[in-house]
Amino acid sequence: MNPPTTTWLRRTLLAAGAALFLLPLVWMLTTSLKPAEQAASGRVTLLPWPITNGVPDFGAGIGERLTEAARQGAANYDAVWSDPSITFPIYLRNTLIVAALSVVGMTLSSAIVAYGLSRIRWRGRGMVLASVLVTMMIPFPVLMAPLYIVFRELGWIGSLKPLWVPAWFGGAFNIFLLRQFYMGLPRELDEAARIDGLGHWGTFWRVIVPLSRPALAVVALFHFIYVWNDFLAPLIFLTHREDFTLALGLQLYQSKAGLTPWNLLMAASSLVFLPVLILFLLAQRAFVQGVAAEGVKG
Amino acid sequence: MTSPTRPSLRTRLRRSPEAAGLLWVAPWLIGGAVFMFLPMLLSLWYSLTDYPLLKPPAYVGLANYRELGSDDRFWLVVRNTAAYAAVSIPLMTLLSLVLAAMLTPRMQRSAPGFWRTDRPERLALVAVFIPTLVPMVAAAMLWMWLFNARSGLINTALSWVGLRGPSWLEEPGWALPALVITGLWGIGQGVVIYVAALREVPTQLYEAAEIDGMGPVRRWAFVTLPMISPVILFNVITLTIGAVQVFAMPYILFRNERGQKAAGDFYNLYLYDAAFVYQRMGYASAMAWIQLLVVLGLTGLMLWMSRRLVHYRVG
Amino acid sequence: MAATAAQLTRRTAISALAAAGAGFIVFGPRGREHVPTGRLVLDYWEKWTQHEGRAMQAVVDEFNASQSRLFVRYLVTGTIHQKALIAIAGGNPPDIIGMYNYNVPAYADAAAVLPLGDLAPRHGLRLDHYAPGVRQVMQHRGRWWATVNTAGTLALYYNKRLFSEAGLNPEQPPRTIQELDAAHAALTRVTAGEVQRAGFLHMEPGWWSWIWGYHFGDTLYDEATDRSLAANPTNIRAYDWMQSYPRHLGVDAVERFRSGLGPYGQANWGFLTGELAMVVQGPWMASQVNQFAPDLDYGVAPFPVDESIYEGAAPPPTALIDTDVLMIPRGAKNPEASMEFIAYTQQPRIAERLATAHCKGSPMLDVSESFLAAHPNRGVRLHTELFSSPRAFICPPTGAWPELKDIFDTAMSDLWKLREPAAQRLAAVQSASQAVLDRAARTRQLRGESTGLNRT
Repeated sequence: MNPPTTTWLRRTLLAAGAALFLLPLVWMLTTSLKPAEQAASGRVTLLPWPITNGVPDFGAGIGERLTEAARQGAANYDAVWSDPSITFPIYLRNTLIVAALSVVGMTLSSAIVAYGLSRIRWRGRGMVLASVLVTMMIPFPVLMAPLYIVFRELGWIGSLKPLWVPAWFGGAFNIFLLRQFYMGLPRELDEAARIDGLGHWGTFWRVIVPLSRPALAVVALFHFIYVWNDFLAPLIFLTHREDFTLALGLQLYQSKAGLTPWNLLMAASSLVFLPVLILFLLAQRAFVQGVAAEGVKG
Repeated sequence: MTSPTRPSLRTRLRRSPEAAGLLWVAPWLIGGAVFMFLPMLLSLWYSLTDYPLLKPPAYVGLANYRELGSDDRFWLVVRNTAAYAAVSIPLMTLLSLVLAAMLTPRMQRSAPGFWRTDRPERLALVAVFIPTLVPMVAAAMLWMWLFNARSGLINTALSWVGLRGPSWLEEPGWALPALVITGLWGIGQGVVIYVAALREVPTQLYEAAEIDGMGPVRRWAFVTLPMISPVILFNVITLTIGAVQVFAMPYILFRNERGQKAAGDFYNLYLYDAAFVYQRMGYASAMAWIQLLVVLGLTGLMLWMSRRLVHYRVG
Repeated sequence: MAATAAQLTRRTAISALAAAGAGFIVFGPRGREHVPTGRLVLDYWEKWTQHEGRAMQAVVDEFNASQSRLFVRYLVTGTIHQKALIAIAGGNPPDIIGMYNYNVPAYADAAAVLPLGDLAPRHGLRLDHYAPGVRQVMQHRGRWWATVNTAGTLALYYNKRLFSEAGLNPEQPPRTIQELDAAHAALTRVTAGEVQRAGFLHMEPGWWSWIWGYHFGDTLYDEATDRSLAANPTNIRAYDWMQSYPRHLGVDAVERFRSGLGPYGQANWGFLTGELAMVVQGPWMASQVNQFAPDLDYGVAPFPVDESIYEGAAPPPTALIDTDVLMIPRGAKNPEASMEFIAYTQQPRIAERLATAHCKGSPMLDVSESFLAAHPNRGVRLHTELFSSPRAFICPPTGAWPELKDIFDTAMSDLWKLREPAAQRLAAVQSASQAVLDRAARTRQLRGESTGLNRT
């Protein structure tokens, strides 16, 4: 049976919407394929125009433009990757370290805390839940100075630790998210586990975690994106250039003198964006399917 | 004191749900205390001081809070931020829900052929989510460019269909719509969470509703919405926090020679200025605590109102 | 549930990705900056990125190679004010910070940086090595706090071709506000109510909303009494004059025109396209022209002043001085070593090289002919002379200036749109500014510090 007309109507609308959501990114990618002058020229074109003997050829065909884009794109991405003063490969490695350590810590600890807030009934859990919510509501700028003092006392300033150790104690948003999902799991699961002789740890590890794998994947992915793109914490707590992360490296492409190399900035942004995109595309099935824990349905 | 028939303290502790609960939330209690509550308490103390950062804080009592009452810029950013929240949260919620509904067809997962499955929908969901993967700074600069009145993509596109676009970032009255548009662009996270929640709604419920003769609208109102209400609550709360704390986007969009100085001013921009440009960390901390109390109040209100509206599947 | 083939490939791909990430962590490039053993390490935080950052990095490298006791580590960070404040507040400052001249009063008042009066001369620096105007930036309340590595003065940039076309003499730019008005009138083109070209617009690019009164002979702030002078009659006259431009062309028409101009930093900015004939800018302007419009024939002249300042002869030119500064934070572990590096950067040879790369002026009193001849800005001689003009001015020397400037910026953007008469708005600006100044004075008193007013 072929899908009915309403489905096609809906899909047409969706396609238009999806295109709108992607448009800015297309712009980012195509700008990264232009020479600096064209990127800053203010002309709206998707692909760069070739220049022969110093004369811009605005009427060039798509083939010539594609060749020019490939040539210029290769030059731009190479310039970003091998810039001696903005060492992208080193920032990439730092970002990977921070991301790996904090994603593992964040997912594990948030799941544990969320279990304590949803599957165990105890006096005081409302208070703890409130404390989780409260910390989501304080603006980070005013915490920076006191946090700096805490990290200094711990001797962590100038290392990557301020960026990942706190993740091992859970994050408010993720705890809240997982807690909401765990609240939706049927109580009978726990009772069945108890009958099987499982304690809390056994119930958590053998029942809840397997059932909530997609939800955990969501938390891991959300936190990965957050860490990957976080700018403020690295700005404040890192004091050596060789410790910089990618998001912090991006700002080095903005010039104070109004001569921002837009093409390189967009190439760098695309490079930062690309790994997250690939990871997301690969994980999206589990991710989307998911969060709807299969075994719990009905 | 201890009678032989009663279990030992240790056993009682082990069996008491309070001990178990505390043990499970211990990571949060420890980490929260060191990395959250301690800094928050420090900022509460700072809010009672004059603290230029370059010099130690000096106690001034409630002077910072009193000054806020007569600070014109404070009230301006409160109005702007409230307007942004009031416009963006309903719009974002509505659009997320509509998109999520459109993206969650009831279809076989593994039918042969691309178009007969929900794979087109999944692709569209990916497209909707992708913007949230872009670093905020890059996204904001991208938007600044797109909004440019003359060479921006938006107005260029409008001119193709014969419309003259406004000077988004410069004309009074357009700052808020511009910011709301950037906000709508970033709703992917909410949509994904809604899609996940919608897929969790048991199909039997829909079948039962259909047997009861409910149309699609009533099915939505009486089956779907109640079933996903905890997730809506979660999303609205996080959207509220996000809207009240909106920062990087307006900072980059409006903090330039052309930007709307007053209409583009928001709560956390002033807070940031107070802390790091005017070097008034005490005043900024007072602003932070006011914001915290207001959001707390709003959340409390939402949770209280949701007692009747939100349906948890417990037991 | 059995995994389908697609799922398996996906799982393999994710594992491969994870393995690649792990491999990169283990085998990827590690960037420990090589610090030669036995050297004292100095951390230097700067705000410059891109070509400006590379030029400074070259100076640092040269210093590191020039001797074998000290090693400077250069850290670039876009939002330096925030990072520096938190690090200083946290008791963990770097050894040298590169800030802007408007930061000096706040840091000096808080004693967050070290006074250089004794330190600098030990390393061969003297105030009178610097151009007189630049010395204003380096001192606060009579003491020396900062050194300057690059500096700029503001001047009028005008398009010579447009001048000729409009029947104006391209070698005789306007000297007075009244001549500027006349040139503006001659250069502006309006057809069917739409501005096609403007002679001069104060708000393009509008970075210095507060300078106009100075060109009428007034000032905004009296340091001796800590009073805001925003509503002085002469200041009001200056802003009345500013309002005459949108009033004459029509606010809506002007704003439609402005919104059609590209932003500064892009090739379609008004001055580069010829849609704006005159702008006020610093020496860095030339880098825009050289990159985006190399054929643009521009002239550089002192920004005009009001006729009333002329008393028979032409007065010395009026110009704002804007500079970068180097300071040594309090708590820096080795001030003598920090100063040694700073002194190295302040050699005329180095300062000139940096200034050339940044397309700015040298802050030094003596400037070499080769620097002037090779500079990318054809107006560099004028910009250099302006540093020594007795009428060169700097932003009001108070720690509260960033807040006062924001009050001004908002007021200017309202005044430009003719939302209020200048007299009324400036009165409000003055009282708001004075409230800020009084509050700053109270917080100084709170700590028993001198308000700086009763100097003997």
